[in-house]
Parts: sequence; C-alpha cells; structure tokens
Amino acid sequence: MSRQLRSELLKQRTTRSSLALLLWMIGLILVVVLLHAFALNAASLGKASNQPKVYGWGTSIGALFAALLGAISVTGEFRCGTIRPTLLATPNRARMIVAKVIASALAGALVGLLAEALVCAIASAGLAIRGINITLSTGDFVQMLLGGAAAAALWGAIGTGVGAIVKNQVGAVVALCVWLLLIESILIGNVPSAARFSPGASAGALAGMIQNASGSSLLAPGLGALLLAGYGIAVAAAGLIATERRDIT
Amino acid sequence: MPGGDGPVLTVRGLSKRFGGLRAVDDLTFTLQRGTITGFLGPNGAGKTTTLRLLLGLAQPTSGEALILGRRFRELDDPARSVGAVLESNDFDPGRSGRNHLRTLGVATGTPDVRVDEVLELVQLRAAAQRPVKTYSLGMRQRLGLAAALLGEPELLLLDEPANGLDAAGVHWLRRFLREFAEQGNTVLVSSHMLAEIAQTVDQVLIINEGRLTATVRLDELADGPRSLEDLYLELTARETA
Repeated sequence: MSRQLRSELLKQRTTRSSLALLLWMIGLILVVVLLHAFALNAASLGKASNQPKVYGWGTSIGALFAALLGAISVTGEFRCGTIRPTLLATPNRARMIVAKVIASALAGALVGLLAEALVCAIASAGLAIRGINITLSTGDFVQMLLGGAAAAALWGAIGTGVGAIVKNQVGAVVALCVWLLLIESILIGNVPSAARFSPGASAGALAGMIQNASGSSLLAPGLGALLLAGYGIAVAAAGLIATERRDIT
Repeated sequence: MPGGDGPVLTVRGLSKRFGGLRAVDDLTFTLQRGTITGFLGPNGAGKTTTLRLLLGLAQPTSGEALILGRRFRELDDPARSVGAVLESNDFDPGRSGRNHLRTLGVATGTPDVRVDEVLELVQLRAAAQRPVKTYSLGMRQRLGLAAALLGEPELLLLDEPANGLDAAGVHWLRRFLREFAEQGNTVLVSSHMLAEIAQTVDQVLIINEGRLTATVRLDELADGPRSLEDLYLELTARETA
C-alpha cells in the first residue's frame, strides 16, 4: 500500500496539472475576495453576520480545488492513457484507488490550508484598508485554517471518487464545480434546514463558515466532520466499485 | 521465480463479446519459455483486446489466461513476471520520461538505479529529464518499452511496437527481442504488418475476426517468410464483392 501511496504522491508532484490548478485557485481567490472585500458597503461589512460572506470563500474554494485535484488524479490517467501502465504496475485496483484517495486527501489538506490562509490574509488586509473592524476572534481564524484544511482533505476524497465514477475529465470537473458553486448555494438559499446536511455545508461546519452560511445555520463542527467523512467514504467506495467493474480499453 | 518447465502463458477458450460482436472468440494457445511469438492479424482482428484480457484490464466473457499458472491480477509481483507496451502514447505529456518511470518504479518497489538502467538500455538517457511531449513517436515507443522492462520481467507483451520506429529503430528492436529471448525470456508481439516481424519470430499465431486461424512454426515452413506471406494473405482474405 505504501508503495502505491508514494507513487500517487510522486505523480501529483510531477504533473503540470497540479501546479496549474494551484495557480487557478490563487487567481480565483484574489478576484473573488477582493471583489467582496471592496464591493460590499462598509456599514454592512462591519456587521459580524456579514463578514463570513468574505472570509467564508476560503472554505468553498479550498474544498473545490481539493476535489478537482482528487478527480484529476483519476481522470487525468484515463485522459493520458497512463491508467494502463498504472494498472500493470498495480493490478489490484482497490489498492490503486485507495492510494489515490489518501494521496488526494493529503494534497487536499494542503490546498485547503493554503486557500483559507490566502483568503484570511487578503480579506483582513482589505477590511483594514477600508478601516472596517474585523469581528472574527482568534479562535474563528484557527478553526477556519484547521477545519478548512480537514474539510478540503475530505473533499479531496470525494473528488477522487467522483473522478473514478465519471472517468471523463471535463464531466468530473463540471460536476464538481456545478455542485459546489451552484447547487449548494441554491440549497442553502431555499431549503436551509436540509441544506445544513449537504457536503458543502458540512465543510462549512468544520471550518466555521462557508461563503453563504455561518453560525447557527451550520451543524456543530464535530457533526459536520463526521458527516463529511461519511460522504467521503461513500463516494470513494462508489468510485472503487465502478473502477473494479470497468474494462480498461 | 521461474515456474519450472510449464508454459509461460496459457490461454484456454478465451472469449470476449461486446454486445453482439465476438471480438475474441474461443482463443487457445500456449507460449513456451525462450520463444518469440508473432501475433498477426489485420486491424480489428482482436489482437489488442486479447492483450487487454491477458493483462486483466478487461474481463473475458469466458475462458481464461494464465501467466506462470496464475491470472495476471493474482500475481504477487506482476512487474517481475510481465512487462507490456499496449499503446505508444500512454504518458502524461508534462511529466519527464524519467519521472514517468519513477512513478511506476515506486509502485512496484523498483529502485531508481533500475530506472536509469532501462533508460540507458533504450537509449533515452539524454532525453530523460525532458517532458514527454517533446519526444518523437520512436522515443515514446522506447520509453514504453523501458517501462515494461522496469521489473525485469520474464514475459513481454508488445502491441504494435514497431509503429513509429524508423529503420534503425526496427533493427534495434529486433536485436533487442532476440537477445531478450536468448536469455530464456518469452515475447508475444502483435502486428498487422507481417514484414515487421517475420524475420524475428519463432512462431506466428494468425488471428482473424477474433479466431485463431493458424499457428505456424517458422522453421517448419519450406520457404520461410515467403510462404508465410501467402498463408497469411489466404487466411485473412476478406470477401470482396
């Protein structure tokens, strides 16, 4: 198992798509956070209940890019054809998928930590420049960084499972973007009582906030962690089953 | 470790259907140690599907393929038993040739020294650090071969390995396969071009429309490669209106 895990980590370090994804993430964070930190009016941003609308982006963007990294670790192999040599080296497909899930969770944790740290730094600088008082406590920031990293790790596992199920790279990327950026927001806006249990809101519970939800609209962090771990295991298991049954042409 | 005197590869009643199409139809053959076997047939005859079935990438509809007595997916150390090149371009374009081999080497417990050894063997040492997207087709074929050789396998399965090689490359490949077999190893090499393999192989399996139509030992042919060509054309002739 550890051989497969080391191989997967080496693959992530030696592919251009990892670096490209990180650069896209940094660019997106810059645009989104600056836009929110400077476009919202000062009176509204001064309220404690509104600041998560800026800071919460770290959780959803971190989760999204961790998931994309996980998905591409599978779909990229199908796209380039490296899935064939990979399976010749490791014919045990379950072992291969489990290694990818763990590697993507580790990489996802780093991605999540980076996303949260960047958002915190840029949002805090933006608010300070506008002379707006930051209402978040040190504890809030710590939860955002650590919880956001943990949530992104689990989203890395979800993404790997989605990649293994969908197999097609564009399909997997679009599915993850639509779910996290569109459907989650619609759910939170329309059926908040049920949306608290969604995988995106669970990530928010872990980190304390996600761009459109915070505080009492989210589950307790521990419950969110359990729920998100459940989603991660379920989707990864589905990906594993799909991979076991598939003919590689 | 060598599995005694038994066949290196045993294929029994191997079949694969895709819907109504019988891509591989009741294939039975064995490969003996130290031989090179050509797997010959027109495009679409089922050669590639057969190799996928041997390597556990696809599940047969019926029948079985045993490598050293076991199914590929049940081998303890598959890279030590079998090496294969299935496509000429199974690489991440941005990854260097050496890193491609390292990702496979790490997964099979092969040290980096061996990675450099196979790079030397296929004459890619100088280009090893460059991304694969800068490689010519011939270089990609050789990198694929290097990957197949990483684990020092006893059996090599090659799908159309001469595609994209120039004359010198084909000559090099032939000599390499000869030496590989003389060391007691076994090779199955598919091709749709008889001329590419006729001079290299000990025996030819001719496959057409998924079925094995002939097994020919070259030393038993009166006229060598010449009469093989007639036989091949006769066996794979399509009905033309």
